[in-house]
Amino acid sequence: MVRAAIKGVLAHKVRLGLTALAIVLGVSLVSGTFIFTDTINSQFNTLLDDIFSGIDVSVRKTQADFSGFEEPFAAGVLDDVVAVEGVQYAEGGVSSITAQILGKDGSPIGGNGPPTLGFSWGETAALNPLKIKEGNGRAPAAPGEVGIDANTVSHNDFALGDLVTVVTGAGPEQFELVGIMSFGDSDSLLGATLTAFELDEARRLFGYMDEFTSISIIADEGVSGDELTTRIEAALPAGLEAVTGETQQNEQADQINEGLSFISIGLLAFAGVAIFVGGFIIQNTFRIIVAQRTRELALMRAVGATARQVTWLVVLEAVLVGVFASVVGIAFGFGMALAIRGLMNAVGFGLPAASLLLLPRTIVVGLLVGVVLTVASAVLPARRASRVPPVAAMREDLLTPKRKSFRTRTIWGVAITSLGVIGLLIGLFGGIDNAIALVGAGAAVMFIGVSILAPLAAQPVADLIGRPVARLYGVSGTLARENTKRQPRRTASTASALMIGVALVAFFTIFAASTKASVEETIFELFPADLTVQSTSQTDPELPAPFSPAFTAEMRELDELGAVSALQFGRVEIEGATQLIGAIEPQTIGEVFALEPVGDALIALDAANSMLVSTARLEDEGWVVGDAIDVEFSATGVVPITIAGAFEANDFANFYFSSQTYEDNFTVLGDGVVFANAAEGVTLAAAQQAVDGIAEPYGNVKVQTKSEIVGEAEDQIDLALTLFNGLLFFAVMIAVLGITNTLALSIYERTREIGLLRAVGMVRRQVRRMVRWEAVIIALFGAILGVAIGIFFGWAVIQALKDQGLGEFAIPYGQVFIALVLAGVAGVIAAIWPARKAARLNILEAIGYE
Amino acid sequence: MTASPATGLGVTAARIENGTKIFGEGEAAVRALDDVTVAFDRGQFTAIMGPSGSGKSTLLHCLAGLDDLTEGHVFIGDTELGTLNDRDLTMLRRSRVGFVFQAFNLIPTLSAEENILLPLSIAGQKPDGEWFRQVVTTIGVDDRLTHRPSELSGGQQQRVAAARALVSRPDIVFADEPSGNLDSTSGAELLDFMRSAVREFGQTIVMVTHDPVAASYADRIVFLDDGAIVHEIFNPTPETVLDEMKKLGS
Ligand SMILES: Nc1ncnc2c1ncn2[C@@H]1O[C@H](COP(=O)(O)OP(=O)(O)O)[C@@H](O)[C@H]1O
Ligand SMILES: [Mg+2]
Repeated sequence: MVRAAIKGVLAHKVRLGLTALAIVLGVSLVSGTFIFTDTINSQFNTLLDDIFSGIDVSVRKTQADFSGFEEPFAAGVLDDVVAVEGVQYAEGGVSSITAQILGKDGSPIGGNGPPTLGFSWGETAALNPLKIKEGNGRAPAAPGEVGIDANTVSHNDFALGDLVTVVTGAGPEQFELVGIMSFGDSDSLLGATLTAFELDEARRLFGYMDEFTSISIIADEGVSGDELTTRIEAALPAGLEAVTGETQQNEQADQINEGLSFISIGLLAFAGVAIFVGGFIIQNTFRIIVAQRTRELALMRAVGATARQVTWLVVLEAVLVGVFASVVGIAFGFGMALAIRGLMNAVGFGLPAASLLLLPRTIVVGLLVGVVLTVASAVLPARRASRVPPVAAMREDLLTPKRKSFRTRTIWGVAITSLGVIGLLIGLFGGIDNAIALVGAGAAVMFIGVSILAPLAAQPVADLIGRPVARLYGVSGTLARENTKRQPRRTASTASALMIGVALVAFFTIFAASTKASVEETIFELFPADLTVQSTSQTDPELPAPFSPAFTAEMRELDELGAVSALQFGRVEIEGATQLIGAIEPQTIGEVFALEPVGDALIALDAANSMLVSTARLEDEGWVVGDAIDVEFSATGVVPITIAGAFEANDFANFYFSSQTYEDNFTVLGDGVVFANAAEGVTLAAAQQAVDGIAEPYGNVKVQTKSEIVGEAEDQIDLALTLFNGLLFFAVMIAVLGITNTLALSIYERTREIGLLRAVGMVRRQVRRMVRWEAVIIALFGAILGVAIGIFFGWAVIQALKDQGLGEFAIPYGQVFIALVLAGVAGVIAAIWPARKAARLNILEAIGYE
Repeated sequence: MTASPATGLGVTAARIENGTKIFGEGEAAVRALDDVTVAFDRGQFTAIMGPSGSGKSTLLHCLAGLDDLTEGHVFIGDTELGTLNDRDLTMLRRSRVGFVFQAFNLIPTLSAEENILLPLSIAGQKPDGEWFRQVVTTIGVDDRLTHRPSELSGGQQQRVAAARALVSRPDIVFADEPSGNLDSTSGAELLDFMRSAVREFGQTIVMVTHDPVAASYADRIVFLDDGAIVHEIFNPTPETVLDEMKKLGS
């Protein structure tokens, strides 16, 4: 049996080869994602080992899990720690996430992804992950001196002795580069920029006078980390905690894992689409091959093979193909991992090169995915193979098995499609947990349902698309059209594979267009200010990165500007849930920001420890104005905050504090956004020029008009669209392979027919044209189905997001048309090889072909 | 047009001069045609006979430009096929040569009418309506023109194939055992039609067959053995054909 299966596979090398390629692509995406994330993970773990290997215990502010950085605490704690029995040595330090280095041209370095970290230089080597590289200067020891990581130094042509600008909370200042650092043994911390300053200098820059953000401790010989942690805990004032180096390391590893899993889930989702599409193609190929081998299978039955053995034969062939393709796919995964890294780096993550890591898990998953996919897709064709009666070996008329009636097909197709649509709609509108998973599953089921129905539409649609083709290209066109109509199931399942990719592309395109249609209105409405100032960095996906408040202070001095109003952002915990909050200046916010306060809410906000709450949230929680709500701050702990008033706008935050309340309860890193209006009689251009003038030395702030913000938002939407469509490219490529495969198989079946056409006078070009147009018709059929489904998805999703400001449903007809044209081009590409093969057939051999 | 050197009668539609065809190389080489020279006159119905493997099909293929000779020359009218490239050969087959094979003559996705008109539509030409009518009436499928081949009987299919071969008024029609797969009644109908095409329309036909009855429809029979022409007779009857075959076989 195994030998028969191997022979079967070898006999259909070329045909199965194309199928295998579909599996290879899918598996390589999956394994590439794993290899990529595993490699990054292990790099991080090595780094974390470096950082924490020397630290037995750390003291820090009790971490509120909603705060993203280390909060400062009083420096005096160090004395309490040193006094604890078993502490050999303890050293305090400060760190910050906003130490932006400017390049020689004044532009910010990094910052768009990898963080911009600043540290105080630790005197104790064992506690300090930063090292000065041999022969590259010395540690920063005085004000005005800085150490920078080797990676940043070499990428920006810095040299020892250079004056380098670093923007911190204290504004932009120049420092002499005195030391080039490594982080552990590595020249960089995964692309982050690292700066180190002498302790008091760092405190001044970060705004932590007489404070530490952490204390690192070495235990006495024979005292365990756990033991010492308990002892130190006891000596600490409330609000601080002691943790072992190991705990800290694990926490960080978890955090990194979480970040990476975000990326890998995204990539795996696209890999899933590619695999799903691959399944269609595999099923199609096996079905065609089984049909073409009916006589052979019947002969096996005639000589005594049981139906079950025939099924197993086909399944076994699928296993062989699956294993082979998965192994190749895993190998290709390395290339894919490199490509992903390249892509991430292109978007601004500075990921260092490292040898790729192949974990056993990757091999297991890759093999499982490939084999299960292949076998699952081959099961139906295998069962069909087993139903070939032995007598078919002798009788021509039994060679084509009876098809299921169109009625049965319709019932099944409609049922499954409806199931998918219902799942999708519940996911979108049902307001349930895990909605995205349900939406995805619903979409997948719907694709299957539509693909079951597609053969019903194949003939009329092919007829319609084929009509102009037949008119334009005579017999070649007519035959192309007729050939697609001849096997509606084959045409439909080939087209369905393309449909999936096109549907998703169309969906993303429509979604992007609709978002764009809403974005201008939203931005103009929400931000009435003439100018908006923000950091160029994006260190937190949810919040604007803080920039130096020194800059805001300078802005307020400008004569060209009227109202200037700063906003800060952060996270707090209310009623056990993390909330994004904003802080505003009540006096000026009304002129620059559409908050739509209810009544005199803004005036009331002036009181200490008060906040505004959105009317929607008030209603949800059953609060009324005047209530005091417990709010937990990372810096000051739980503080009762009075609800001073309500606001209407459906902005991203439901809570706004006054700037004063914010300063009282947050460690201020800087302003998130500053809005400003031009002064009376000053043109917008002049005002922007004035702000640009003072922005120059900071490097990392950008000054934008409303239209520029809209333009930037549109650019970002376009970028995301490009990225998604790029990732869908694999699914589309697999579908194109499917068309090639189906054509190759069909041509093989029609060898004699092509021979005849050539004999009665068809030139090669006409043969190629015939095959090409067949491919184009199939591709267009798939693309039309895909666009229709994509429009439906787009419409449904936008309806679901209506209350989030996505009112407009816009179909970008131009782009949809381009997608259809591209699908046609894909068909042409898919046809290149089969068309050439068909045109090169030897006429006599073809005619004599059995 | 050249006068036929073989018969001295009429005008030559096609001829082969010193044609040799060798398949394979070295030990395995097969000499399918061995220095064959023969000409086919216009308006003549010629049958080629010979034992299986004697080179009949090979001769037909080489004459029709479907295969090339190892040595020698083939002419359709005045055109020497050896000088033509694939494209020109295809154009020649399209406009000047007609074919009827033993089986699988028709494109299953096209109707009978479309099949008949296939060489013309491939060439992008309009059919001559009157001629088309005449042909389909003669073959007796005028009421089945919209049917697909699968809906036609074997005899009807072969007659449709013959009509296709005639519709572009080629210089010459080649048929390789066209009645080989048909029962005797259908075979007779087909052969009648072929003969009337020669008699009434002046068509030239060269047909390979091993059936003496079929061969007796022809004006002339060429006997082939081991790749060489061994005999020929004119105006045969089934009896004379059988006699010849016996003589040659002994
Ligand atoms: N494509 C080919 N390759 C090798 N040998 C061939 C090929 N075609 C025909 N032959 C050989 O050439 C000889 C003549 O074949 P053919 O012309 O088909 O004979 P007939 O039609 O008279 O039966 C036979 O011996 C046959 O085996
Ligand atoms: Mg033969």
